[in-house]
Amino acid sequence: MEPIVQCMGLTKRFGGKTALNQIYLNLERGRIIGLLGPNGSGKTTLIKIMNGLLLPTAGDILINGLRPGVETKYRISYLPERTYLQPGMKVMEIVQYFQDFYPDFRVDRAYDMLARLQIQPYERFKNLSKGTKEKVQLILVMSRDADLYILDEPIAGVDPASRDYILHTIVQNYNRNATILLSTHLISDVEHILDEVVFIRYGSIVLQAGAEQIRRNEGKSIDRFFREVFAC
Amino acid sequence: MLAKLIKYEWQSTWKLLVPANLLIVVMTILACITVRLDVFDAYNEGMIFSVIAIILTYVGSMFVVMIGTGIYLIYRFYTSTYGEQGYLLHTLPVDKHYIVVAKVLVSTAWVMLSTCLIYLSVLLLFNEEGDIFTQIIDSIKGSAMWSGTEDVNAFAVIMTLIAGVVLMFARILKVTACISLGQLSNNHKLLAAFGFYFLVYIAQQIMNGIYYAILGYINKITGDWYYGKSWEYSLLSGLIYAVVFYLVTWYIMDKKLNLE
Repeated sequence: MEPIVQCMGLTKRFGGKTALNQIYLNLERGRIIGLLGPNGSGKTTLIKIMNGLLLPTAGDILINGLRPGVETKYRISYLPERTYLQPGMKVMEIVQYFQDFYPDFRVDRAYDMLARLQIQPYERFKNLSKGTKEKVQLILVMSRDADLYILDEPIAGVDPASRDYILHTIVQNYNRNATILLSTHLISDVEHILDEVVFIRYGSIVLQAGAEQIRRNEGKSIDRFFREVFAC
Repeated sequence: MLAKLIKYEWQSTWKLLVPANLLIVVMTILACITVRLDVFDAYNEGMIFSVIAIILTYVGSMFVVMIGTGIYLIYRFYTSTYGEQGYLLHTLPVDKHYIVVAKVLVSTAWVMLSTCLIYLSVLLLFNEEGDIFTQIIDSIKGSAMWSGTEDVNAFAVIMTLIAGVVLMFARILKVTACISLGQLSNNHKLLAAFGFYFLVYIAQQIMNGIYYAILGYINKITGDWYYGKSWEYSLLSGLIYAVVFYLVTWYIMDKKLNLE
């Protein structure tokens, strides 16, 4: 089976600055993959290119064997690192919006998760706290039966108590044949759910390996290993 | 998908623009009642002051609604397309043509609604007597004659109206194209959009100048003023501008998108 993501010499430049430099990367199906790297390493740029929000300067990228476009957007469920929903809409209206545009959206799953977090469907999005907004966005993304979930910093804005719930939500609700690509700085919080990690620095991939393989070979946690690799 | 995009675009804008258009209706009723009071004949200082205040509020409201609608629609296009909400819009599994069409159709509908309401409002305010429909036709005939159409018949009136709608589409697409062109800049994208708008405006003025120079030359040679019929030029130039600005907006959204 072909990989869900294939990057071939992927390069992105902003003016004179190179954000991604000749990236070759394959992401297999059915795995939870951590995209790890310090600030400005190119994680979000790579994620945006996968979602068609940025166009590469050179090289190629295939999602499900296709270049980013309408077809790939049917298969990707994307959580950006920012608040991207219309503030004036009610939560139930946003759920309806997702249902209207994504055939794989599961309304019952969304309402079930909202109820568990005691988020009222008639609340306006702008009236929710920052953490609750992030939870709503995550619920919407995880309520789809996608082939690829791309989560950019999904736990950065929530309190430690909620992080476990969010990670639990991610693990419990994704399609088992799908891949989750999870970008985060909070490695210690997520490393127990990761199957694989990709380290990125200065726009280049420096390591791609199984999470268990790193722990066994290095004799330390991924968090510890990350701190050593990216020590300033 | 296009119908869904239109539905959500409409829902996103109506909460502000319906009250704005209702304000036109309310102010028109107030102003119409006020100007028909014989306060100036039956000299009453207090009443005259109130009437002047209402008329000034009426005029101000019309300006605020017209300019406010334009600014709001520009803001809405910018934030929902190239701002944070663009992250949702551009990850929807929909063709970029649909996105442009939905936004432009809804914006044009709002601008046309406001324009028509203000137009009707002014006609009603100064309508001494007679049928309002006849007055509308007369005013369109007047604008057609004023802008060069010699033989003002029903066909010319309809074509003048169509040309007006096409020009409205072209104006809105000019704004979307310039905002999109501004996104090509690495920094100061909004400033770049204003810069592009200014450049496009100058280019349009130059093209208008060239057209009228050629027209004058042809007229001088042939002695025929046929080509001076204004709706033809408005319709043709409007169509060309609309197509060009549409393609620019779509091309940047589809092939040059850079949501940084």
